[in-house]
Amino acid sequence: MRRLFYLFRETWANVRANRTTTMVAIVTTAFTLSCVGIFLLLYVNLRAAAGWLQEDIKIMVYVKEEVSRDAEAGLEETLKGDPAVDSLVFVSKDQALAEFKTQFPSDSHLLEGLGENPLPASFVVTLAPQFRSPDAIQRWAERVRTMAGVAKVDYNQDWIDALASLIRYIELIAIGVGVILSTAAVTIIANTIRLTLAARRDEIDILRLIGATRAFIRVPYLLEGSVLGALGSALSLGILKLGYELFRQQIGAGGRFAGLENLMSFFPVQVCVALVGVGMGLGFAGSFVSLLRSGEERA
Amino acid sequence: MIQLFHVSKYYDRRAALAGVTLEIDKGEFVLLMGPSGAGKSTLLRMLIGAEQPDEGQILVQGRNVTKLKPREIPYLRRKIGTVFQDFRLLPRKSVFDNVALPLIVQGASAGDIRRKVTEALRAVGIEHKKEQLPPVLSAGEQQRVCIARAIVNGPVILLADEPTGNLDPNLTAEIIELFKLINARGTTVLVATHDPHVMAMVNRRVVTLIHGVMAPEQHAGV
Repeated sequence: MRRLFYLFRETWANVRANRTTTMVAIVTTAFTLSCVGIFLLLYVNLRAAAGWLQEDIKIMVYVKEEVSRDAEAGLEETLKGDPAVDSLVFVSKDQALAEFKTQFPSDSHLLEGLGENPLPASFVVTLAPQFRSPDAIQRWAERVRTMAGVAKVDYNQDWIDALASLIRYIELIAIGVGVILSTAAVTIIANTIRLTLAARRDEIDILRLIGATRAFIRVPYLLEGSVLGALGSALSLGILKLGYELFRQQIGAGGRFAGLENLMSFFPVQVCVALVGVGMGLGFAGSFVSLLRSGEERA
Repeated sequence: MIQLFHVSKYYDRRAALAGVTLEIDKGEFVLLMGPSGAGKSTLLRMLIGAEQPDEGQILVQGRNVTKLKPREIPYLRRKIGTVFQDFRLLPRKSVFDNVALPLIVQGASAGDIRRKVTEALRAVGIEHKKEQLPPVLSAGEQQRVCIARAIVNGPVILLADEPTGNLDPNLTAEIIELFKLINARGTTVLVATHDPHVMAMVNRRVVTLIHGVMAPEQHAGV
């Protein structure tokens, strides 16, 4: 217990002894992590937006003209039983015609000259969430296309592909920026801890000579790095939240993107806690790097 | 208690110690004499595993120090108290906290720490200064604090490297008396010094090193 108290006290003493350096390290780490956070926030919001957009993706399964009512019902049963299908709506030939007339009233005369209704009956299918990736949609469409009574399967492939590519690019940028700036954060904290280590060189030597284990010597510095990382991360979340709210207000004030602010979201509490944990981990890594470089492992 | 067999240590091909063989029994008080650069500090550092010999073997309490793994060395050091010429006290910690450090490192309870630190400070006659910071103490007082820190966990061996190097003759005599008292309680004491006055004060076994080589043994005062 006394040992634990000593370790915490030493950590606090380290922080206090290097107040300016500590503050600079926290603020620099916070701004560095904020840059990562911006991309992460963008990624999270785009993923959410992509999710809503993909929910809206409807696949049209057109039924062949010559198919009987029974065969149509059979096809409906088969599709309903497919685990990839979340929901489906049957649109009869008459309903298709009525919809056409509603949507394009000025063009409805085009169909009048044809006599018989040329529009096919169809099933409007929404796939289950786990089957909404571009590859899964394509595989499903190809499978259904071969079913008896199916004339054609239609969906907007280009739109799905473009959306998936955009998300992939943002993901790659977020990972790239995250790795580079996280390394920067580790370096900032490593340098701060190196200053502390240099200032306490004699103390470390004394501890070593009186029989302190390597863990005992290292813990205060690892704790200090972790605290710096966690505080930097927490501050970066504060900066991000502030920026996020200002941005939302700006959008909500009117203009072309008005209304979009209601669709935007900040990180949920669990993610915030996880990000503080990540900051703590980066700080720990920074301290560890410094301890290794300082040759603290020497006997 | 301490055995060295043909121990040699080289720095840039120059021998700091050359084939030293030495045996110190439990409870002995030995003076390690020799001019600066004779290899005294190197020998003491080897006993606590801070240096490794290039040749030979070192046994402390029957354990071969040269074969210890790095993680075992702290446990060896906990059995050996060390006193330094430059005291090596932590300037921002009180006398009490400095002396308590070896006990904290070992995970002693708060009650044990209070009791043992008080005993150690009383033994070196500096209990009344326990709240003060080392920089405000005299050189003699700082050395007493250093000795208290070395004996606080009841080590089986006490090593002192030029413990009187920064002290005047009166303080030197006081410190040597302290070592004698500690030795009288059963602790094996090995004091490295270049000061011939210390030899006259101690009147015990003397091992002399000259350029890393052991000279024939003599007895102080003889």
